[in-house]
Amino acid sequence: MSIVKTATELKFHFRDLVIDQDQIIKLLGYSSDCLPEPFGSYLNETIRDCSHLEDIRGTYQIIEDVELVARRSSILANHLEFKVGKTIRKELEGAEKLAFFVSTAGSTLSEKAVALLGGEDPVLGYVYDILGGAIAEAVGDKLQQLIRQRVKKDGCNITNRYSPGYCHWDVSDQYKLFRLLGGSPSGVSLTPSSLMNPVKSISGVIGIGKDVHFREYQCDLCQMKNCFYKK
Amino acid sequence: MSDILSKLSDCIEFGKINLASPFPPQMKEQEGADELTAKALAQGINPQDVLTQGLMPGMERVGVKFRENKVFVPQVLMSAKAMGTAMLHLKPHFLSGAAKQKGTFIIGTVLGDLHDIGKNLVAMMVEGSGYKVIDLGTDVDAAKFIAALRENPGAVVGLSALLTTTMVNMEKITQEIKQALPDTLVTIGGAPVNNDFCNKIGADNYSSDPQGVVEFLNTKVA
Repeated sequence: MSIVKTATELKFHFRDLVIDQDQIIKLLGYSSDCLPEPFGSYLNETIRDCSHLEDIRGTYQIIEDVELVARRSSILANHLEFKVGKTIRKELEGAEKLAFFVSTAGSTLSEKAVALLGGEDPVLGYVYDILGGAIAEAVGDKLQQLIRQRVKKDGCNITNRYSPGYCHWDVSDQYKLFRLLGGSPSGVSLTPSSLMNPVKSISGVIGIGKDVHFREYQCDLCQMKNCFYKK
Repeated sequence: MSDILSKLSDCIEFGKINLASPFPPQMKEQEGADELTAKALAQGINPQDVLTQGLMPGMERVGVKFRENKVFVPQVLMSAKAMGTAMLHLKPHFLSGAAKQKGTFIIGTVLGDLHDIGKNLVAMMVEGSGYKVIDLGTDVDAAKFIAALRENPGAVVGLSALLTTTMVNMEKITQEIKQALPDTLVTIGGAPVNNDFCNKIGADNYSSDPQGVVEFLNTKVA
């Protein structure tokens, strides 16, 4: 196996992230001009609370030793095989390098959301949960931007990001992904069934190359018929 | 139906928890599920009637509205919170046998999946419809479901999954449950699953929304 370079780990402040508040309100089922109480107060309370978070982090690692194996619908990175499935492998077509990443809203928020959802205030817990998901995705956006800037000087583009658990990429590959990132990237660990802890975390891969493409619209890749994000 | 039970139904439907709760705005400064349940019981209304004529109709209306996209998750959670508050008053009556639940429902998100909002909504809605709910949480394997079933003979199982890759675990868990306890009814739900998948894995029901699970239980259990 090739020598693994040290992954890049970054810390973020809530204020650094681009969070679309209208989208959060929409996820709550309302529009920004019609958000009844207590949801408005709850949202303000969670946003205020999130501005103090100290454990929003992201880690990425660009791997140069890669191969896309069409017949096995898989990708190889540092000789580790990831069975990403036909759809993702096709989306990574043309990738000369692969960036693996983990981003997290951190354990403070994740634990708060879980405790509230299961206990004293599920509604407030739900608002934390939605905001936590948005933070993890916003950190993912930041990492994606950084990777894009980093490879641009070599004339390369990037693909969208793709995560285990979706499009038939089995979550059991998470262990290999985490291995590439040094084991416990950004303080995120895995359960025996390959799930991330803190819960509000995302992981995945981004293709890099001169001939790869970024899709503005990728909902047609996914089978979730009732997904809120589906346009 | 008495006026107080009708008001109680409204409190559940609109998520009015108690007098202090500002939600919903149109019921501000009115008594909520907490005060009205206590009042109904103090007036001597049968606890079973409080459950079946007061609380359950309200929860059913929420379930139908959620199915029709007329209300969203936060409102359902508010209704569930109102329901939970009312149920605290009824708990001693369940224990004494003065009020009875319709049956037992064991629910969990399958092994390899941590998503629990959908599972929680189903649990709340089923509980609000008069069933005892045992929530095993997330990332639950077959052994845990089977152990809970052995402790609660005749219970129905609900399996939830959000990830396409955990559908395979849903299949394994269903088969292991059916092998260990063949008479167990299994209902499944979650974004990636559908009726075809339900038939393929040998589950007994697929519901795309919580109210569908309640209707399935009402047909098979109640």
